[in-house]
Amino acid sequence: MSTLLRTPASVVWLVLVGATAVSWTLGTDNGLGPDTQRLAGIAILAIAFVKVRFIGLYFMELREAPSVLRGFFELYCAAVGTLVLALFLFAH
Amino acid sequence: MTTLVETESLSTPKRVPGEPGAWIFILGDMCVFAVFFSVYLVQRAHDPELFARSQEQLNRNLGALNTIFLLMSSLLVVLAVRAVRQDAHRHLAPYLFVGAIVCGVCFVVVKAFEYHEKIAAGITPETNSFFMYYFVLTGVHLFHLVFGMGVLSVLWRLAKHENPSGLHLAFIEGGACFWHMVDLLWIVLFPLLFLVR
Amino acid sequence: MARRIEMDTALMKAALWTGVALVAAMIVSQGILMHFIGPPSPNLTAQELAQKFIARKGEIRVGCLVMCMFWCFWATWSMAITIFIRKMEKGYPILTYCSIALNGGGYVFFILIPMTWAVIAYRPETLDPAIMQIMNDWVWFDYLFTWPPFAAWMAIIGLAILKDHNLPTLYPRWVAYLNFWCAILIFPAGLIVFFKTGPFAYDGVGAFWIPFFIFFGWMVTMTVTTFQAIARRRLTLEAELDAAIEAEPSPSAL
Repeated sequence: MSTLLRTPASVVWLVLVGATAVSWTLGTDNGLGPDTQRLAGIAILAIAFVKVRFIGLYFMELREAPSVLRGFFELYCAAVGTLVLALFLFAH
Repeated sequence: MTTLVETESLSTPKRVPGEPGAWIFILGDMCVFAVFFSVYLVQRAHDPELFARSQEQLNRNLGALNTIFLLMSSLLVVLAVRAVRQDAHRHLAPYLFVGAIVCGVCFVVVKAFEYHEKIAAGITPETNSFFMYYFVLTGVHLFHLVFGMGVLSVLWRLAKHENPSGLHLAFIEGGACFWHMVDLLWIVLFPLLFLVR
Repeated sequence: MARRIEMDTALMKAALWTGVALVAAMIVSQGILMHFIGPPSPNLTAQELAQKFIARKGEIRVGCLVMCMFWCFWATWSMAITIFIRKMEKGYPILTYCSIALNGGGYVFFILIPMTWAVIAYRPETLDPAIMQIMNDWVWFDYLFTWPPFAAWMAIIGLAILKDHNLPTLYPRWVAYLNFWCAILIFPAGLIVFFKTGPFAYDGVGAFWIPFFIFFGWMVTMTVTTFQAIARRRLTLEAELDAAIEAEPSPSAL
């Protein structure tokens, strides 16, 4: 079993759990003022898309995939991440 | 001839995880959800106070708990796929897939409880715009998750073969990637609906 | 003695063309004649809705006659694909029988749609608008809320393709994954019961337009790939027949 765990994906998993804890703390602290809340929101969303990228590269094994497939996924993370952040900040 | 090519290539040969066809499905679904995320944020911008107020009534702890359940299930799926590939560990794979399914069941139970909490408090998809998106987006995700659990049960069956064929392995990898997609979508949905305001 | 392959390609292709006719008839009847692509808003008052039926009652009556005729072709089109499901599965034909059952019911849901519109347009001036509203709602629920048997069949097609034991396979494997995806994508049609306005009401982009384009786009894709499957299968059957004829002892050797 330990040989199964000896893979970069396990370390990535610990990072993902840690990032979830950070996001949850930032998201549940109700004492923040509106500007700090926005900053927290930016951080939380950015963290989310970093997590998405990790899942794709290490869990879905796209690190070893042909450039077209990996490229599309990386483009998705960058484009959708940017779009989500932009809409969060600037939509009205 | 082939040995020459192998020794000259220093990096691991690139391969598509699963089958190319599966990626039409996975990437396509991710794009559909990207549209959902965008539509939600545009609607939120029309009435940010309503959305922020309504969001306060969501149970963030249950949402975070569900995130942990899905992350655990994804790890189990990663380990299961690794196990299937190694003769020495293949016998562990079915148990690992079952573990992932159990995590999925936990997610469904928590979600059912969460929905029940809302409905008992008089909050339904028709209450307001925010709650429509909350119920619909988490509902569509839940549908994917249940479908994913069906896929995992197929993977569990395939993992019991002593000598899985190339096609079996490709399907297992593709199915695993679908499950990771379900996890990945929740990783965005949870902060989007529950945390950011 | 002339021998023929056991597949009548002309009839198989005709069955597929009936599906094309179904889609064409829908565009003409439901769209051009009746103006029902997309649906009237569920939020209209009964009076406003009644007016729509009174104003276009002639077009609706004709359109429904046409649609009723062409929409029974769901049965013939789906059976062309079901024949291949039979060829893809081994042994007891569970997937085939599920397909027949699902599609045998499917065409009923299809033709109840124009039939109901025709009934509404039969006496629209004297029929109580409240009753017309219920019947119109019923039609759109028949159109959209009944997505499950179709999604179930899409999943069965996908499953059959992945389990295809033929060499070469009758369909490329990506068609299986496309079917699974389409099955999931038409799910939002089920959300119409919760909303009278917005993207998931029965005139909304999420519950009507997306499933509508997915479903008919899927029909077109399945038609094209099944034509290709017929061509592929014909080659295989002809090769098998040639080989069988070669293997037979010639009359003079007896």
